[in-house]
Amino acid sequence: MPQAFAPEQTTTPSAPGGAAPLIAFHDVCLTIAGNEILRDISFEISRGEFVCVVGPSGCGKTTTLRLISGLMHPSSGQVTFEGRPVTGPRQDVAIMFQDYGRALLPWRTAAGNVSLALESLGVPRSERADRIQDLLVKVGLKGQDKRFPNQLSGGMQQRLQIARCLAQNPSVLLMDEPFGALDAMTRQALQDEVLSIVAATGATVFFVTHDLEEAVYLGDRVIGLLPHPGRVAKTVSVDLPRPRDQLSSRETPQFLHLRRELFDFIKEAEA
Amino acid sequence: MTGWRWFWRLASFVVGVGFIYGWQMIADAKLISPVFLPGPDRAWAALLRGFHSGILEPKLVGTVQRMIIGWLLASLLGIALGTMIGVSPRARKIFGPTLEFLRPLPSSAIIPLAIALFGLSEGMVLGVIGFGALWPMLLSTVHGFGAVEPRLYEVSRALGMSKLSVIWKIALPSSMPDILAGMRLGLTVSLILAVVGEMLTGRDGLGNWILLAARSFRAPDLYAGVILLGLLGYVSAQALAWVESRLLRWRAVAR
Ligand SMILES: Nc1ncnc2c1ncn2[C@@H]1O[C@H](COP(=O)(O)OP(=O)(O)OP(=O)(O)O)[C@@H](O)[C@H]1O
Ligand SMILES: [Mg+2]
Repeated sequence: MPQAFAPEQTTTPSAPGGAAPLIAFHDVCLTIAGNEILRDISFEISRGEFVCVVGPSGCGKTTTLRLISGLMHPSSGQVTFEGRPVTGPRQDVAIMFQDYGRALLPWRTAAGNVSLALESLGVPRSERADRIQDLLVKVGLKGQDKRFPNQLSGGMQQRLQIARCLAQNPSVLLMDEPFGALDAMTRQALQDEVLSIVAATGATVFFVTHDLEEAVYLGDRVIGLLPHPGRVAKTVSVDLPRPRDQLSSRETPQFLHLRRELFDFIKEAEA
Repeated sequence: MTGWRWFWRLASFVVGVGFIYGWQMIADAKLISPVFLPGPDRAWAALLRGFHSGILEPKLVGTVQRMIIGWLLASLLGIALGTMIGVSPRARKIFGPTLEFLRPLPSSAIIPLAIALFGLSEGMVLGVIGFGALWPMLLSTVHGFGAVEPRLYEVSRALGMSKLSVIWKIALPSSMPDILAGMRLGLTVSLILAVVGEMLTGRDGLGNWILLAARSFRAPDLYAGVILLGLLGYVSAQALAWVESRLLRWRAVAR
């Protein structure tokens, strides 16, 4: 696989510039019940970086995200966070699940779902109501606080999941195809919302997506995985200036070039 | 929508009236000896007489008390035990088969044992009610805990929730539909066992009243007792359904 040695790739332990990586994979392998799911994954994410992950279905994108979150552990190799091995989930790492319909508590209202995160952080009751309102406004769910998840549209449920993640005040956001099931308009609006939130908070983001344009539009870097077994096969840096714009950013030659590069990569993978 | 609701309400009312009317016709025609089958008019009169003379009220209160105390006992115990077993997949595997074996045992079968152990006391009746009504609650709680969306457990881990708040905020509310269904079943079982217990032990209550009325051929009194039991069952089930609709509002809401 020649792509594995693409010149852009930087898998050397010490990143240029001397800053220690926030998250690092060191030769991570994962085998479940005799099935090799990930092989020799190594990459690093710096603090404040926005990393997107693409690849065909079943190549291990979700699994990689779960390894960072500490919901799963590698069979060999190591995932480190601030230099220490990840042992379990952390409160400053927020996870946005692929299946938003299952990740919300259906018996709690929108406000109640956001409250769950605040309760877990030990935010006193008296402060919760105001923070909940602020968060709901921030994700565009103003006035929906008393509605239950099954009264909200898919896009609204996804916004609610964002609000709950933001309630954690996370330094890292792990997002698993968060906009996969949404229509184009909602999707673009939420993309921009995430970008502005990240710009405001300086959070580090690990963003899984099927959509190559989305990956280029959002990311500082895009990692391409290939399946059987899941492995890193491509890494491209996205040097589009920020803030990005849905129209002009997508029309730049760099954008079109990167999109083409990733498109060829996926096409080759699926051939 | 509301039009249909009124239609069905009316229909059920018509069926009820039809039933009482048919009963009256059969009784009036003396198809069955009036010694065994009084008409609704006589049964109703016996009911009123029972309350006027102050005989029936303490019996009703006795039965209601037994039913509710036994049921609450069973509910608390069933949900607590169910939670303890339910939180651990391993415990579910270990205890599951035994519970499934014990569940279909008719609780009336343990009455002789309970009498031998506790005598014909109030405690024995409550014990039997509690035992009988425990199973639906226990099993439905265990089942509910087993059916919690695994993703929600991951959410709880991601948020760093304590074991106790996972039970309180995720597992119990998620199991609430199952638990309430169990409590509804348990309520029916409680009423049945309260009546059977009274009949066997002779403790004052509607069961005992019905038994004595039958033995002394006071058919109208017997029917009055049966009507009262029917009403009791109906009212308690309605009350629980109301509580249920409040607690499970999140399920009913439309888009
Ligand atoms: N718990 C598990 N047990 C066994 N196999 C698993 C488990 N989790 C994932 N896999 C397998 O690992 C592979 C990668 O799964 P993963 O969910 O990470 O893929 P993905 O890239 O997220 O796919 P998609 O784009 O469809 O979401 C798949 O072949 C899947 O069947
Ligand atoms: Mg996935």
